[in-house]
Amino acid sequence: RRRRVPAAPSTRRLARELGVDITQIKGTGSQGRVTDEDVRRAAAALQE
Amino acid sequence: MVVGDFANEVDVLVVGGGPGGYVAAIRAAQLGRKVTLVDKGELGGVCLNRGCIPSKALITAAERVQQIKEADRMGIRVNGDIAVDLPELMNWKDGVVKKLTGGVGTLLKGNKVDVIKGEAYFSGPDTVRIATEKDSQTYQFKDCIIATGSRPVELPSLPFDGKRILSSTEILSLQELPKRLLVVGGGYIGLELGTAYRKLGSEVTILEGTDSLLPGVDPSLVRMVTRKLKKLGVTVVTGAMVQGGESSEDEVRVTAQVKGEEKTYAADVVLVAVGRKPNTDELGLEQVGIQLDERGFIKVDKQLRTSVPHIYAIGDVAGGALLAHKASYEGKVAAEVIAGMPSEVDVRAMPFVIFSDPEIAYTGLTEQEAKEKGYDPVVSRFAFQANGRALTMDSADGFAQVVADKESKQILGVQIVGPEASTLISEAVLAIEMGANAEDVSLSVHAHPTLPEAVMEAAEGVLGQAIHMVKK
Ligand SMILES: Cc1cc2nc3c(=O)[nH]c(=O)nc-3n(C[C@H](O)[C@H](O)[C@H](O)COP(=O)(O)OP(=O)(O)OC[C@H]3O[C@@H](n4cnc5c(N)ncnc54)[C@H](O)[C@@H]3O)c2cc1C
Repeated sequence: RRRRVPAAPSTRRLARELGVDITQIKGTGSQGRVTDEDVRRAAAALQE
Repeated sequence: MVVGDFANEVDVLVVGGGPGGYVAAIRAAQLGRKVTLVDKGELGGVCLNRGCIPSKALITAAERVQQIKEADRMGIRVNGDIAVDLPELMNWKDGVVKKLTGGVGTLLKGNKVDVIKGEAYFSGPDTVRIATEKDSQTYQFKDCIIATGSRPVELPSLPFDGKRILSSTEILSLQELPKRLLVVGGGYIGLELGTAYRKLGSEVTILEGTDSLLPGVDPSLVRMVTRKLKKLGVTVVTGAMVQGGESSEDEVRVTAQVKGEEKTYAADVVLVAVGRKPNTDELGLEQVGIQLDERGFIKVDKQLRTSVPHIYAIGDVAGGALLAHKASYEGKVAAEVIAGMPSEVDVRAMPFVIFSDPEIAYTGLTEQEAKEKGYDPVVSRFAFQANGRALTMDSADGFAQVVADKESKQILGVQIVGPEASTLISEAVLAIEMGANAEDVSLSVHAHPTLPEAVMEAAEGVLGQAIHMVKK
């Protein structure tokens, strides 16, 4: 079973905008929450 | 195109001005698109003109009558009969509708959306013909959003006649209170309107084909409503398969097969509320190659695109939950996709609300659904009987229930039956969308005395720490 990534609607939108798959991100927020920063970092990694 | 035919060019064409279409038009305009919206009827669609708004107006009026009757318990004596002037009530309701539809018109104008009153028909993959009162013209579009909504299903054995055999549309505008009202269909529309007319003074019987009212809704929530219906004197017949009916000068008689026995029900009017079907049949969709599902709803992807990529479909016509807020949400997504944004339908908690007595509202997963999805759920229920505000409102039947993941305490679903459940569910929607856990809700201070405290305490219960509830 794949757990739902805990992330706010705005963070999920940001992930779409930056073209990253949020389910692939390991959240660094409390209890594994994916933060905006996590999304930006993942997007930057994709750029490299 | 016919020779000599002049094609008007539009950027984004929205067909239908209901809660899906008008919201889509406004969002597309906000994002800088030139938008044209066409509707053959009144702006606001079903929801404003013959759905959500008029039904809630009637429900509120009926509830007001009920409260006056029950005020006696608080020592408020009302002498004499309570008289309901139905034409005046309908007038008031129509005024509410008019204010809102007028508001939609103003908003569209303020956003520079061109509004055409006419009926649209696809003549090709990027053209529609719009027939207005005056003429018929072809419009060429770059992108199109279909938001033509749905209409009541007719029972062939009990066809609408506009006099005694009515759809939800006509029952919302009766000028005379029926002495006996028969409701065919125990879904939310039949239940809401049946309850309202009972409170206004009609004798009401509801016939439901399955073995429970509100099929598809968690039975523990429905039970509270069934109990209240009994108290109100509404007759509920389940397992009743309607065979047919006939109306005469002074009544309508409906026969039904009830658990193998044929029964006849006489009434002044019968409301047939057995479902709704999509308005896809008179649009010329076949000429464009837009695919429908087996029930006639337009197939769409996560971005609300139909099988023809520059044509989108939203709201009732696109199937799923036939709800106004779902239509509006989809309208925004479709408009954003057209404007080049990477939007898609991403809903974790769709709220479902039934304006029954008591109200029912739920979102996210039930315990059963959570188990099916592989979670190990913990369920906590808090009764409104232990909520101060509910008692001061003399309306303490029901409960708020939180379903959470045992390990992470993440909130997966919330079910509420009770006073203002329709309002209370919003906090649950936000909690689930934000990925909140039970602790987040329980650590948020809830004003006292208020109904939302019941949600907070149900969340505390997940942690085994509700204050106004003893751990079993
Ligand atoms: C009695 C009742 C009570 C309801 N209560 C609630 C409630 O409390 N909460 C809730 O969320 N939902 C409620 N609903 C459901 C809600 O009304 C619908 O989900 C909602 O209206 C769907 O919006 P829509 O934009 O998809 O379509 P609609 O509102 O159906 O609008 C479609 C519009 O398209 C127009 N149209 C159709 N075909 C054409 C054409 N060929 N050319 C031009 N125009 C066309 C129609 O004139 C109409 O205005 C209720 C419905 C009913 C019947």
